[in-house]
Amino acid sequence: MKRMMIAVAAGALALNGAAASAGDINVGSAAGVTGPIAELVVDIVAARNLAASHVNEQGGLLGGDTYRLVQGDSQCDPKAAVDAGAKLVNVEQAVAVIGPNCSGATNGMAQSVTIPAGVVMLSDTATAPSISDLDDNDLVFRVAPSDAYQGRSLAEHAWAQGYRKLAVTYANDDYNSGLAGVFASAFTELGGTITGNEAHEPNKASYRAELATLAAGEAEGLALFAYFGGSGITILRNSLENALFGKFLGADGMMDTSVIEQIGADNLRGNILLSQPASDTEGASYKAFAAAFENAGAPFVAHGYDIAFLAALAIEKAGSADRSMISAALRDVANAPGTVIRPGEWAKAKEAIAAGEDINYEGASGAIEFDENGDVAGTYSLNGVGDDGTWTPIE
Amino acid sequence: MEQLYGIFLYGVFLLTMGGIYAVLTLGLNIHWGFTGLFNAGVAGFFAIGAYTTAIVTSAASERHLGGFGLSPAAGMAAAMIASAIIAWGVGRICIRLRADYLAIATLGIAEIFRLVLKNEVWATNGPRGISLIPKPFEQYAEPWNHIGMLLLVIAVVAVLYVLLERARRSPWGRVMAAIRENEAAARAAGKNVERLRIEAFVLGGALMGLGGALMAHHIKFIEPNAAEPISATFLVWVMLVVGGSGNNRGAVFGAILIWTIWSAAEILIARLPPEWAVKSAYLRIFLVGLALQFILQRYPDGIFRERRFRTAPSTPNREQPP
Repeated sequence: MKRMMIAVAAGALALNGAAASAGDINVGSAAGVTGPIAELVVDIVAARNLAASHVNEQGGLLGGDTYRLVQGDSQCDPKAAVDAGAKLVNVEQAVAVIGPNCSGATNGMAQSVTIPAGVVMLSDTATAPSISDLDDNDLVFRVAPSDAYQGRSLAEHAWAQGYRKLAVTYANDDYNSGLAGVFASAFTELGGTITGNEAHEPNKASYRAELATLAAGEAEGLALFAYFGGSGITILRNSLENALFGKFLGADGMMDTSVIEQIGADNLRGNILLSQPASDTEGASYKAFAAAFENAGAPFVAHGYDIAFLAALAIEKAGSADRSMISAALRDVANAPGTVIRPGEWAKAKEAIAAGEDINYEGASGAIEFDENGDVAGTYSLNGVGDDGTWTPIE
Repeated sequence: MEQLYGIFLYGVFLLTMGGIYAVLTLGLNIHWGFTGLFNAGVAGFFAIGAYTTAIVTSAASERHLGGFGLSPAAGMAAAMIASAIIAWGVGRICIRLRADYLAIATLGIAEIFRLVLKNEVWATNGPRGISLIPKPFEQYAEPWNHIGMLLLVIAVVAVLYVLLERARRSPWGRVMAAIRENEAAARAAGKNVERLRIEAFVLGGALMGLGGALMAHHIKFIEPNAAEPISATFLVWVMLVVGGSGNNRGAVFGAILIWTIWSAAEILIARLPPEWAVKSAYLRIFLVGLALQFILQRYPDGIFRERRFRTAPSTPNREQPP
């Protein structure tokens, strides 16, 4: 036993020596790698790592230091997130932390670890409105807009498309329940009717019973808030097979090519509308990102790229890997005015910062202007299935 | 220097979390180690304790029930009382069940609690959870806030350890062992087995509630995901079995050892090449399984074995025939 302990301790020390090697600047990359949204996280983490490789290929940070993203597994669980955060902040000496995924994990890690330590946290996926309430000394930022925006936007789009009576079902998790709540109240305020509003537990084999109950309300369509892999695809299939619902509305948790592959483009074309925060897929920033990343349309992937790139810009702007300077620098590089920097343009950004210019990062996920809470406003596009069988924006 | 300070702070976090798990493990030790009650619903009592203290101590919010403004100490007391009451109710219904049936019943009951907490949105904010839970000593500057929390957890574990050791040696503890080993004999000796089993169930449940309350204060946030069976029931079972069921020292040691392996494994895994990034997180689960195999092969009764009672007091070191 004793020998084992000594071996473990010695190993830990040796590894820590290696971690602190000169020329590396560590930023924590916390993600729900295992846990309920593991399948979404794979692409998000890949996008973050792409941003890091863009930085390192084009000159690295400051005087040529390597930008190193150290991964921590926050498991979508606040207990695990606090543990992962304690490691990233203390053992890895992260200058800032990007992530974690899931609002609950973000909430726990921010309150218990990063705020007390004075470390900036920049989340790509936390959408819970309660994160704006944190007493955070300006240390918690996010590029995913609060759900309050998306639910309202989708309700307005639905109304504009002529829907008046809708049924609502949502996966009972923090993200989808929040969205559904905002959507239902906004749609009712506009004058619409919600014929039924039911939570469902994800990962069930069939949702026929739930859908039959909802369909009894004779709604014109189903507003479905779920992750595609958890329950979304099953609900679409059950609805179509049993002719319970034919028209669907949803949010970005459903935006994935596997939805079209499994349900069929012809079944969905004209029958499904999904809102997505990566508002401007025609914009130059999104195109620059999509050219470099294969699955650019997957949920929150563009946001993942943006936070990793923004953290690097903030360190460069601060001029040193000093935790206390990141918060102010982050606002400087993200918000207008300044020279516009787009995804992948690290060399240009580095030059501009060296020349003392103010810069303004226009991200793949949107323009990214932080307000006083460190939140971004959301604008959303509506997407449907296009002629080529992919998700396509609809005017 | 900064590196060492960082490792020290991480050590503080590690021991705090390990200590909180030790409280849960001590609670389970009363159930399984002392009395032989197969409780597979640790997460349920954990959740009740965590939510109770969250509701009575957090600031008023329109998102959930709250605004009672009690101190964390009062919150922890309330958590223990609430989970004791619930444990009493559960115990009344299913304490007569044999070991494996009790396991199934408690597993189901824990899931019911979690789903109720998840769906009673008016009280608990549903899946979005309760935020801004006060943390003891958080007003002090780093590192004293973290050290204060750690000292609190150590004090709780120490007090529980002393009390439970006394309980184990007392007539009450001996009756519990008798019930576990041979229920019919205990009944024949005139003991009210049902009542005693409920007593043990309530006491253990209260400790699990206290563990949940400490966790809620430590992470300052609680949501239903935090009471998933994997990290709140099965991990606690692993800790108890590895440390040594029936031995309080083993329960504490097992909790800290398994938590250290679980947490520190990630530091090693973060050193793997980035191509492994996503896969390597699963490697950690594999490593913990491997460590478990190794420890249980080497120490089949857990690292600390249960110390048996002797009928007559005897001087130490001479009681054990070779």
